[in-house]
Amino acid sequence: MAAEHGSNGAGGPDGPDPRAGLAPDERALLEAFDRLRPQGTLRWNFDDAVRRLTEPPDVPGRSSPWTGLPADLWERGRSTKASERVLGDVVTVVSQDLTEYTDRAVEESRGLIDLSVDELRRATLDAVRFLSARVDRLEAAADPFGIEAGELELPVPDTLDWSGQVAAWASTRGDLPAVVGELSADGLVASVAGAGVAVDAVDPRGEVVWAKVSSLPGGAGAGSAAVTVTMAEVVDHLRGLATDSRGSVILSGCVDRAGLAGKVELVDEAIRVVAPGGTVVLLVSDQAAWDAGLDPVVRDLLPGRPLHPEAWRLVLSHRGVPGSEWHHAPSGAVHAVHAVVAEVGR
Amino acid sequence: MSGIHLFVPMLHRRDAVGEHTRALRDRLVADGIECRVYIDMPDPDTVEETLPYRDYESDARLGDVLVYQMATRSDMAAWLAARPEPVVVNYHSITPAEYFVPWNNWIARHQVAAAQDLAGLAPTAALGIGVSAFDAEELRLAGCPEVAVIPVANVRLPPPPPDPGALAALERQPGGPTWLSVGRLAPNKGHEDTIAALFVARATSAPDARLTIVGSPTEPNYSRALHRYVAELGLAGAVTFVSRLSDAELSARYAAADVLVMLSRHEGFGVPLLEAMSHDVPVVAYAAGAIPDIVADAGVLLDDRAPRRVADEIAALLADDGRRGALVEAGHARPAALGLDRAASDLVAALRGVAERVGRGPVGASVVAAPGAPLRP
Repeated sequence: MAAEHGSNGAGGPDGPDPRAGLAPDERALLEAFDRLRPQGTLRWNFDDAVRRLTEPPDVPGRSSPWTGLPADLWERGRSTKASERVLGDVVTVVSQDLTEYTDRAVEESRGLIDLSVDELRRATLDAVRFLSARVDRLEAAADPFGIEAGELELPVPDTLDWSGQVAAWASTRGDLPAVVGELSADGLVASVAGAGVAVDAVDPRGEVVWAKVSSLPGGAGAGSAAVTVTMAEVVDHLRGLATDSRGSVILSGCVDRAGLAGKVELVDEAIRVVAPGGTVVLLVSDQAAWDAGLDPVVRDLLPGRPLHPEAWRLVLSHRGVPGSEWHHAPSGAVHAVHAVVAEVGR
Repeated sequence: MSGIHLFVPMLHRRDAVGEHTRALRDRLVADGIECRVYIDMPDPDTVEETLPYRDYESDARLGDVLVYQMATRSDMAAWLAARPEPVVVNYHSITPAEYFVPWNNWIARHQVAAAQDLAGLAPTAALGIGVSAFDAEELRLAGCPEVAVIPVANVRLPPPPPDPGALAALERQPGGPTWLSVGRLAPNKGHEDTIAALFVARATSAPDARLTIVGSPTEPNYSRALHRYVAELGLAGAVTFVSRLSDAELSARYAAADVLVMLSRHEGFGVPLLEAMSHDVPVVAYAAGAIPDIVADAGVLLDDRAPRRVADEIAALLADDGRRGALVEAGHARPAALGLDRAASDLVAALRGVAERVGRGPVGASVVAAPGAPLRP
């Protein structure tokens, strides 16, 4: 079997080497794939696993099944002329000894079990304590001050330049609602809704949500699609949405200030909720403009800063959506990264 | 009231065994037979359609027939083997462990255990049903005393119409012939051979040939290797991997394809072969497992997977309109020849037969038997 695995490229039971008759260039072509297999001791592990599965180990100390009284017991009893009483005494002594030995064995077994369980319990508790301490240290390292982004004064990205283009991108799967989060003061939501796409707007800032809700009756023109506004962190809101339930997700603000892990989580959730053929749009602040516009203390204490659009493209590709494009900010402040979640390699 | 109940380790949507199980359940219920689906592990998508198999203990009725949808390893198998009710093994093939050895030990061990499950359950089964003659033979070898061949019940004929948007986008793509390969990214599917053949084809007969591989990445190491292989061969622009397609999107892929290439080394049935035939897409396949039985005279069957041979056969087929038309025409007759149109009713009839044979009368009737009467035939 090993010879087959080494030669047929698929590790399959094909019988004789199926590559035996191949031309050298064909063989080289297929061997290029063989080299991509994981290396190591998989073969040994597998054989060992098969052996353990097919040859269950004999249990040490297992009692033999009782085969009945010895056939010659009665003859032996007669030959010693033992009376029933004597035989009874012998049986009594033997049974007492047996009981004593059994009790002792049970007691010793209990002691051993207690010992091993105690050991296991101690080891488990040690492991839990260690993990707990490790989590504390990791949390402390990731966020030593515990400052919430909401506590810091941050500029709201001006996404006005992108209203028309984003509405066009959202329309490619306009049969499903678009998520817009967070909300800037410009007409992004109205523009998307005006294109006939229902908007699921979300922002963690109460005053922004209130302002948006208040503006809705007049803000959306005739023929506009429905707009719902939710006060929540964008990532929390996305987590609550069903897979493939949205035609597009348009993110701004949150994608700038979140740490790298938070950014990746936002993108993962956005890709998950967008149906095949839909789009993810990231409206990201220009790094130089961002740095110049922030108070130095705020800039230094924020968990994250805007990624360059090329970095976003790499993140998107790494999370299963290759082929995204980015567009330079017309006014220099906010760039757009546009990804189509096509037939999904998620 | 007694019933025919289905047991499956997990019930997935868009999965061959899962959709077969759901189709069979729907048919049983439509025929007035009580039927529940019991599972080992819940799938969030189908959790409301299923019950934990241990719950059957309290649901059991005299006269029940239990049907195990077997394709993988599960504690359910040993549990079913110990049940007093007659058990039918509806067998969908277990991929031999050897295919997974170089890629994933855990799956390989899992497959060994699955084969052991089959060996434990088959000898006591009231009936084994293979979805192909190939699978039926595996059941016989495992010790199943009585075996039938009934194909899967979930092949949609005629197929759903293609998604117009997806089809239009595919038709706009430039390039030469489009090869299509449909199957999970698992080592037994041999996708690397198809990629190697594409490499040869582009170097010889069809410089613009493209390949689309539709399949979910079942085995991560193998999937990663396929992607790297494509990149190393400079085929990144010519090979597309897609998964999680809707039925209409998959139909669009078939409608845009010039040929279906299936170089699987182990195939228990091969639904994509029939899907391709129903879309008038000619088939070129390696003659392994059940594939020769499914394809018969309606496709090009290869006795080896050498890249040059595969590329040459595809080029010859695509250059010969008459031959291609004849194969497509022959493909139209395959579903009826395989009995796909009556698969669900044949399954129900076979299961009713088991119920009547073990002396409980027709399934669905309330049955009274003497206490302690044996339930096994």
